[in-house]
Amino acid sequence: MRTPAKVRVGDAPDTRVVGPISQTDIVRFAGAGGDFNPLHHDPGFVATTGFPGVIAMGQMQAGILAGWLSDTFGVEHVRSFGVRFVAPVLLGDTLTLGGTVVTITETNGESLATLDLVASGDKGPVVTGSATVVVAAA
Amino acid sequence: MSDPLPAGVVDRVEYDVERGKIREFTRATFTTDPVHTDPAAARDAGFRDAPATLTHTVVAGHQRDQRAFVDSLGLALARVVVGSVTWTYLRPLTAGDHVVGTRRVVDDVQREGKRGGTMRVVALETEYVDAVGEPVVRLEEVLIERGEQR
Repeated sequence: MRTPAKVRVGDAPDTRVVGPISQTDIVRFAGAGGDFNPLHHDPGFVATTGFPGVIAMGQMQAGILAGWLSDTFGVEHVRSFGVRFVAPVLLGDTLTLGGTVVTITETNGESLATLDLVASGDKGPVVTGSATVVVAAA
Repeated sequence: MSDPLPAGVVDRVEYDVERGKIREFTRATFTTDPVHTDPAAARDAGFRDAPATLTHTVVAGHQRDQRAFVDSLGLALARVVVGSVTWTYLRPLTAGDHVVGTRRVVDDVQREGKRGGTMRVVALETEYVDAVGEPVVRLEEVLIERGEQR
């Protein structure tokens, strides 16, 4: 297993920027994840729903945020990952993914950090979340 | 189609975790760690094969009948949104795993919506177990059915 990351409370690892989100990005995620709700690819259908345009599936931005988390800390070190869907992502939005270490506790000889996470679009947060990650002892 | 589900279980999904699907999902989520796409890098990092990305269980969407699931809960699909999702990892899900996820209702309440009308909040929990029955990942979802517009 790889060495856990060394972090302190208050640390905010480098953020990642993804976008602008294209229809291709959304279709690629639909293919990977199996969500073929027309809300995410069919402008004619979207026009009947009250949304201003095609929106990404929440699981897409959740997965992109999770990718930042596991690329930063190592997938084997992540013990939990939770998200709350705050606002839709529209075509052309650019996402910024990041998080901050809020606590580090020692449990059974293991250092566990909790992080506050956020994915922001052009107009503010689209997904907020939290994670528990094994880190290196201080 | 299959055996009837026990009380409280809304659906059950079964799938094989495949390298190709892990690769596809990794790319679709802009995940860059080579352990997900290169079996040699995965083994060097101590995995027995490529680990799935954190939200890979979303792939179960391919195997599910979402409409039947929503109908079985008596929800109006057009008014349903997902409020939150939390994954708890007991070990990394890895290519070659065969998993079975059983989804249960853990809470189902009516609440006054902020803009009037009643909304329904349904909490679901899915436990994925591997081929020997050991839990691998647990998923908690909260679905919100908004009140009807007046």
